[in-house]
Amino acid sequence: MINGNLKASYAADERVLNNTYKQTFVYGMMLALALFAGFANDYMILIACKMGILLIAVVGVNILTGYTGLVSLGHGAFVAIGAYSVTMLENGLTGIVPESLTIFVVLPLAVAITAVVGVFVGLPSLRVKGLYLAVATLAANFIVIFLIEQDAFAPWTGGVVGINTHDANILGWVLDTNREMFVLIAVVAFVSLLAAQNLIRTRVGRAFIAIRDRDYSAEILGISLLRYKLTSFALSAAYCGLAGAMFAYFYSRILPEQFELDLSLELVAALIVGGMGRTMGPVFGVMIIVMMPEVIKVFAAYFTGGDAASARYIAPLQEIAFGLLLVFFLLKEPLGINHITDRILRAANRWPFARG
Amino acid sequence: MGQFTQFAINGLMSGAIYALIAVGIVSVYKATKVVNFAHGYLIMFGAYFYFTFSVIVPGQSWAPDWLASWQPAWLLEMREGLPMFSPMGAVLDWVQNVPRILLGIAGALVCNAIVGRIIERTLMRPLMGQSIFAMIMVTVGLISIMSGAASIIWTADADFVPHIAPNAPIRFELFGTMIFLFGADLVNMIVALLIFAGIVLMVRYTKSGVAIRATAEDQSTAYSMGISVPKVFSRAWVLASTTGAIAGAILATRNGISPSLGLFGFSVLAIVLMGGLDSYIGVFLAAMAVGVMEALTQWRMGGDWAEIVPYVAVLLILLIRPHGLFGSKEVERI
Amino acid sequence: MKLNRRSFLATSAAATAVMGTPMILKAQPAEYVLGASLPLTGPFATAGQLVAPVFALAAKLFNDEGGVAGTPIRFVTEDSGYIPQNALANYQRALATEGDAMIGYFADSTGAMKLIAPELKGANARIMGSTSFASELANPATNPYQYLSGPTYQSQFDILLQKIKDVGGTTVAFIYSNTEFGRDPLEHGRATAERLGIKVVLEEETKAQGADIPTHVTKLAQSGAEHCILQGYVTGVWPQLIGGARQFGLPTKFYGTFWGMEKIIADRITAEAGPFLEGYEGIMPYRYFWDQADAPRYQKYAEYSKAMFAGTPLENYMSTWALQTMCGLEIAMKAFRDTAEKGLELTPDNIAETLAGISDWDTGGFFGGPVSMVNNAIGTGRVYAYDTASGLFNPTSDWFTV
Repeated sequence: MINGNLKASYAADERVLNNTYKQTFVYGMMLALALFAGFANDYMILIACKMGILLIAVVGVNILTGYTGLVSLGHGAFVAIGAYSVTMLENGLTGIVPESLTIFVVLPLAVAITAVVGVFVGLPSLRVKGLYLAVATLAANFIVIFLIEQDAFAPWTGGVVGINTHDANILGWVLDTNREMFVLIAVVAFVSLLAAQNLIRTRVGRAFIAIRDRDYSAEILGISLLRYKLTSFALSAAYCGLAGAMFAYFYSRILPEQFELDLSLELVAALIVGGMGRTMGPVFGVMIIVMMPEVIKVFAAYFTGGDAASARYIAPLQEIAFGLLLVFFLLKEPLGINHITDRILRAANRWPFARG
Repeated sequence: MGQFTQFAINGLMSGAIYALIAVGIVSVYKATKVVNFAHGYLIMFGAYFYFTFSVIVPGQSWAPDWLASWQPAWLLEMREGLPMFSPMGAVLDWVQNVPRILLGIAGALVCNAIVGRIIERTLMRPLMGQSIFAMIMVTVGLISIMSGAASIIWTADADFVPHIAPNAPIRFELFGTMIFLFGADLVNMIVALLIFAGIVLMVRYTKSGVAIRATAEDQSTAYSMGISVPKVFSRAWVLASTTGAIAGAILATRNGISPSLGLFGFSVLAIVLMGGLDSYIGVFLAAMAVGVMEALTQWRMGGDWAEIVPYVAVLLILLIRPHGLFGSKEVERI
Repeated sequence: MKLNRRSFLATSAAATAVMGTPMILKAQPAEYVLGASLPLTGPFATAGQLVAPVFALAAKLFNDEGGVAGTPIRFVTEDSGYIPQNALANYQRALATEGDAMIGYFADSTGAMKLIAPELKGANARIMGSTSFASELANPATNPYQYLSGPTYQSQFDILLQKIKDVGGTTVAFIYSNTEFGRDPLEHGRATAERLGIKVVLEEETKAQGADIPTHVTKLAQSGAEHCILQGYVTGVWPQLIGGARQFGLPTKFYGTFWGMEKIIADRITAEAGPFLEGYEGIMPYRYFWDQADAPRYQKYAEYSKAMFAGTPLENYMSTWALQTMCGLEIAMKAFRDTAEKGLELTPDNIAETLAGISDWDTGGFFGGPVSMVNNAIGTGRVYAYDTASGLFNPTSDWFTV
């Protein structure tokens, strides 16, 4: 039984991980990930890499939708911009910057470019919100993909047929297997998550939350809506750009159609399922959203014996399950899985006294 | 100039269908304040129901022969000696299909109305009073459920459905260019416009229309004035799903039947926001304008450019007029 | 079944977030695996669903014949929805679960082939066939592991344009779907048309399904093209385009490439909308299935189909799409078997080398005569025209090799 978290100073209360549970959890996770990288089989590594990439992007969406309360159905476009920026920059810098150092130039630049685009896409948020913003961002997603596909830009973007990407090369260490990429993705995702947790306790993070709770009230309190809404868009886009960069390094070729509306909706759905406005929300959400189709596929293969004729029901079933999951959480558990785990942890914490 | 007219007319014809689709989104929004992202998929269901009742059912062994192909003696007589693909031949082909077209439309209307009711009862009513975000995302979830369900129910057999109206070609010369029009498209346009006008008049003048407007104004006041708000909700959904069924049947004849019909919902959503969510007039003008712009873009720049026309247009309009061309401004209180 | 359960266990382990449990899968030398992605859903689902049963037939037939030098082969088919990234995910998943036992893969689109191509290196390389005839893939220098089971779309365009030239045509329209498959031969077609002195009066891109038929037909009418080549369609759009043009009374003559040459679709449109397709011509690399007299292999398939698919429409007819897949599998099997016969290990490089060297191979009736792999493609085919009365595609040319 634990009664509470003793804090002897304000400094202790203001730390990123402000209690021992959180610290233990974070160190435990680091160890678990290290073991995973070493021992998991290829299939699990593959799935984990996909989760990691998606997780970075969902953390970005969480900043915008979960903390600042702005809806976006266009974050797939930012992932696209991150992925294409990295690839185009790598192509452009070949021979100028030594290969083993390229990533240190390319990655920050790609993230910065995405952040700038994020500010532009965020401009309508100053005039519209809610539904109108959702449709404006959705429109922006269509337009970004359309521009990437244009023949006029094809020499740089590859156009509709896509473009081959580079392997990540960190100081001469070429990450050309999934397992090596997992190490990079896991580290980046872990740091992103910690950075997001840190962001929320800062002045900027608190401003975001004030805007989410009531934007006009926040403005009256002296929070500049212009500045913070655009900051939120920029940060959130930057995370998605980072996810895009990982995407480009992980896959050998990228296509514009990989970043269409489906991806944007998947990001938001993962956030809703996991829990909006909570640090661990994206983690739970991404796990469910990535695992669910796999589990359905494996179960279906198990029960039908891998019969090709019945394989055609798998994709529709995955689609229906995705929709049901989204609807279920919105109607029955709007705060997401994070809320469920909260309740469990609280009950465990107070056991054997008050429950729930 | 002649070519311009050709594509402008084409644009008006697709604009009318956009308007017919949009009317469903606007009606649901007016009554329930839910913006239905999944409306396109309701249309897709309408198209598939039309296909079911006009192609699959008449093709069954137990269905009477006249249902699949009605061939009274006078029809066979008139067909004698007609050259293939003549305008008269097209009309006679259509006459032969009339029974199954009627069955198809009736079936689509009834089934889609049932689907609309089910959605309203199971998903939308629990959402009353929830945030806009939750409402949007529930309809997004609905998209996945509906498109998955459609591909399980109807599998993949892409088939061809009979035109609702005789598809006689219309050709005439204008400004020195030959203008080509499909007869069926003209009739589709007229049907769409009549339904649109009918709904606007209904909302303005009938009792249930007044109830919808009162609910749109203020739900709780309407409730206290004796209007059954849940009834208004389900009426609005039935209205949306039946107009969607007609739009679906028309689109199935024009574009062929496929799950991609659902994507129309997104471009029409953009059109609706351009016109203003609660304004029938605004939405009508926006639909026509986008239809014409799309056709002209298609003509000058090609198909892929035409696809993003509604999205570019809505972005520009939203930046200038955040609530659309004719939408009423929302008043917010702190 | 056994492997399914194993992958099932692997996933449920991951699902319960039991991390760090080492479950390293080893290759099974007891059987070989050939993975496949098929478009069982999505725009080309009709084709995918007709092709899927062929894998069962192939598994039975090949294993009855002794598999690969006595080792049985198993096919793992999955749905891609005609989305390249799904095919890539399927490939990666198969690679991760089957390991070295997987010696080949069969992809379902040009897009998937191009998306997976750069992944085929080092330990991840596998020999790879597909339903695609994309020209870019027929290049052993850049795509050493990928092969085509027929002539490229570019060659098919060349032949059609030559035909148009021969009948005195001066204008042509290209109508194509907005997929890689649709765009593939365009540039080449443009160049060939210019060389032959044929004017390309219209290049129209449409959606692969749900295209706005009236607008496209109007554009075709306004362009006044005498001939029109349709590319990048399978079940939808192309018949409606032809139907629309006929209703307008356009005299345009239509041509198709391999994927638009299926009897089932042609029959269906004839039954539904009348004899629109009279005189429609196109390229088909293989014999049609009814032409079995000189095709012992087809007779074998027919025998197996009768036994395996009794009571279904597949009993008596194998679609062009299914034949293409069978041909692709036959090529892969020949490469596997020849490699094993040579006493070499079944590594991707050995198989690719054997495959590239296939020459004067008697396919048992797919093609008119013995064929050879040139640039990882088989440049043989024939022009057929559709006859609405009999519902058959009849050859209008002899076998040619490009």
